[in-house]
Amino acid sequence: MINHQIILFMAIPLAAGLISVTTAKNLFLSRLIGCVSLGGMVTMGVILLWLSHRDDVIYVSQLGNWQAPFGISIIFDSLSGLLITAASTVALGAYIHSFDMLEPDIERRYYHPLIQLLIFGVNLSFLTGDLFNLFVAFEIMLLASYALLTLGGTRKQLTQAYKYVLLNLLASTIFVMTAGMVYGMFGTLNMADLARIVHEIQADPDRELPTGFTALSITLLLVFGLKGAFFPLWFWLPDTYYTCPISIAGLFGGVLTKVGVYSVARTFPLIFAVGEGSQLIILIIAVASAFTMFLGVLGAVSQHEIRRILSIHVISQIGYMMFGIAIMTGWALAGCVFFMIHNMVVKCALFLCCGAMEKHAGTDDLDRLGGLLKRDVFLAVLFFIAALSLVGLPPLSGFFGKLVIIREGWPYYWGTLSIVGLLTGSLTLLSMLKIWGYGFWNPTPKAHPIRTDAPTVKRNLKAAYTGIVFLVGTALFLGFAAEPVCQVALRAGEQLEDPVPYISAVLRIDPDVLRVSLEAPAAPQVTLSAAAEASP
Amino acid sequence: MTSLILQTASKLIVPLALLFAAYMTLKGHNAPGGGFIGGLCFAVTLILLRMGVGPEVFNRMVPLHPRVLVFVGLAVAFLTGLVPLLMGYPFLTSYVTDLQLPLGASVHFASALFFDVGVLLVVVGTSVGMILRLSQEVEA
Repeated sequence: MINHQIILFMAIPLAAGLISVTTAKNLFLSRLIGCVSLGGMVTMGVILLWLSHRDDVIYVSQLGNWQAPFGISIIFDSLSGLLITAASTVALGAYIHSFDMLEPDIERRYYHPLIQLLIFGVNLSFLTGDLFNLFVAFEIMLLASYALLTLGGTRKQLTQAYKYVLLNLLASTIFVMTAGMVYGMFGTLNMADLARIVHEIQADPDRELPTGFTALSITLLLVFGLKGAFFPLWFWLPDTYYTCPISIAGLFGGVLTKVGVYSVARTFPLIFAVGEGSQLIILIIAVASAFTMFLGVLGAVSQHEIRRILSIHVISQIGYMMFGIAIMTGWALAGCVFFMIHNMVVKCALFLCCGAMEKHAGTDDLDRLGGLLKRDVFLAVLFFIAALSLVGLPPLSGFFGKLVIIREGWPYYWGTLSIVGLLTGSLTLLSMLKIWGYGFWNPTPKAHPIRTDAPTVKRNLKAAYTGIVFLVGTALFLGFAAEPVCQVALRAGEQLEDPVPYISAVLRIDPDVLRVSLEAPAAPQVTLSAAAEASP
Repeated sequence: MTSLILQTASKLIVPLALLFAAYMTLKGHNAPGGGFIGGLCFAVTLILLRMGVGPEVFNRMVPLHPRVLVFVGLAVAFLTGLVPLLMGYPFLTSYVTDLQLPLGASVHFASALFFDVGVLLVVVGTSVGMILRLSQEVEA
């Protein structure tokens, strides 16, 4: 039975984190434990994804053996699997990269346990099937991220972290309140059970969704939007990622915002975008996605420091994912999922490249950079591949996600959004070419010659290069071997579009019985106990 | 700063409060209480003790840094969850039995107790650690 083993995605980082607390003084051991833990999760993620795809199952574990609507369910379907694998890959790359980027003193300040704790929270939020548990996962993740943001404790970091903490506390408070109201409304917080109830009410012409359901959905959208940095709520992101150590910025930029997007992708098609309010909610998501895409990329083009360009770019890419969610067809959701994992990997790779560039020049200001092509061809090639992947040039990984989303949006009235998406793509190219031109292609500016010795810098960047190569290699794999990944992403899209397999796997109701109660308006109500008797 | 009244009173209160903390922890299986509440009672007791006898004596009585308790508690809770997983049940599944004692008595025992003890240790470690740190700054 594989079902119960999925808890290992939380158990491994927790165990590794605990052990690396005791080895905090020994850098080599701590690093080894961290790499083994993250590498193990990547391997396990790939294997489980393959198995679940081959057997067409959703793995479900009921924690503490308390059955579904009452206990907390941990669910591994294609969406969770893909995102967990991608997140662990990104974390592994950024983690290896950080060995060269962090001062040993900072590393000894519980950097290793904190990374594991962060991944613990991220994995829990991808796997959990319970709205309140999702909040808990967010909190675990955020607590670790607060500490990681302020590693080193410079004044600039603390100022930014203060805002970040305050904002996230606000979001968390709203989240808990909303979860409480959802519980008051439906008497359950289990996502599958919520979905069952909402769809049943929706299918029955005699019943109506409770008043205020749409308001709750929008409040939740606000919370996830704040975490995921959607259009009006992204103001905190550029400054926060700008100040922290570059490997950590890469990890955050790659993973953290996607947790917000994931939460929308998971809960909205399943629960909160059902019913008469759905038109309004989809409209909000669509408009927000257009603004997020376009304003994000405009912000990136206007900046002149690599870190800022990349940070604001994170926002722009979130817009594409939101666009995929707004269309809400199986294909569009699949495209959104593919784009999400591509973006996690590539975005982090670009941040890591930026770290290496900084080591060469001592700055990330494009006015002071230049001539890196001559100094470090290897880095230039890596950056070039990552940048073009981000832009979405075929056959690199960014292409497929964008293609699916934009094509899927084209025939409907989403056409405008597709045009915005294409425009954003070209502006993305512009901003990446800006880094390429100023940083690599141009000669070193005379006023600010680079003083570091190139061979020494390269020698000191072995771990950093390993991390970058690993992530760029993954990005290339996503591009050139897109077929298997696309297959899994498609399955994820189908699972998001059609809630029946998810609900029946979690609540152990026969899918056919469930389908009758969810879809045929005149059918008699199927209660849980009756359905349980009917299932073999 | 120690006062004779508090010192004398704490001698009486501390054992009682510790008993109460243990009671709360054990009671928590099916009723209000449990590791978190028990841990808070425990922590308050330790802080009262420190106020009564003063920091030097307290440090001699409790040689462990509270930070260690957080680690141990997490490890205990984690291992409690892991054991059922190795035996083929979901993570954190509790084993429940009635232990027969001599004279016909029996005790309802659940292995979730170890998890609660882990929580207790984490709570004690965190809250006492924080208060110690704060009071160090005040006293310095």
